[in-house]
Amino acid sequence: MNDNEMKGPALVRDDDEVTSHLRAIVAPPVDDAYWNGLEQRIMARLERGREENRWWALTPRAYQFGLLAAGLTLIVASSVFLRERALERRMAYETVIETPTGQPQQVWARRGLVPPDRQATLRAVTDH
Amino acid sequence: MTAIALPWAPTRSRTAVTERPADERDLVLAAQRGEREAFSELVRRHQRRAYAVARSIVTNHEDAEDAVQEAFLHAYKAIDRFLPDQAFGAWLHRIVANAALDATRRRKVRDADELPETVASPFRDPAEGGELRRRLKEALDTLPERQRSVIVLHDVEGYKHAEIGKMLDIPEGTARSDLHYARSHLRQILGAVRSGL
Repeated sequence: MNDNEMKGPALVRDDDEVTSHLRAIVAPPVDDAYWNGLEQRIMARLERGREENRWWALTPRAYQFGLLAAGLTLIVASSVFLRERALERRMAYETVIETPTGQPQQVWARRGLVPPDRQATLRAVTDH
Repeated sequence: MTAIALPWAPTRSRTAVTERPADERDLVLAAQRGEREAFSELVRRHQRRAYAVARSIVTNHEDAEDAVQEAFLHAYKAIDRFLPDQAFGAWLHRIVANAALDATRRRKVRDADELPETVASPFRDPAEGGELRRRLKEALDTLPERQRSVIVLHDVEGYKHAEIGKMLDIPEGTARSDLHYARSHLRQILGAVRSGL
């Protein structure tokens, strides 16, 4: 027994009328030009999507180049940093090692005087 | 000019009587190999039915067309995962149904945010005209989404309950009861309009 046999004739008639109106309400466009246009729009969107995919397909390559460039930059930056640090260390070391002996001598020499330890030596030589 | 006998030659250019319609499986396989024209032929063959499925779910022509376009784009992206021995139409209609449901959700958000559109569509909606039809259209739009889809897919498009169930991802019994409720609701509208006329 189908749906219609379970219903009375009035309901069948009403449903048929509703269906015919529904058919009109949701009817698709009948013009072939519309369907040709829709197909073209779909294929155009698809083509745009493919172009975008092609663009994205380059990404792994660009990613590799990016990684390589970043690696090189890191190496150069590290070596510059290490050289700078080594230079700073050497300067600091030289400053610490050379300052105590160098400074007084320079001061006495700049003033045209004889340093006190030399004065003592000179006195001891001249006294004899 | 000699026509090239491609197995999936477009139907529009098909003129010779001896050319039989291309096997859909061949078309799918060709589309999976990336042959654009094969997919174009699939679009040509299925777009009307796809529109009918979409139109059963959404409430207007524009959303139906959007859903069809989205569905074909999705199908194109996913075609590698489709098994060519299965029915392409059934697979596609499920994608269309999902796209249409998404379009409906987007429409609800848009309608809540925006003023009504004033730009007229070049396509004249067949629902316009006639008091009874207008009221039925309104009633159809106010039906729960699933009931509306079921009644249109069953009564207008001729799908069986089981097919509708698969398409909308609902049990067959649910499709049956949705159809019953949708029909009785629309019948009431019909009765009310008749008694008012």
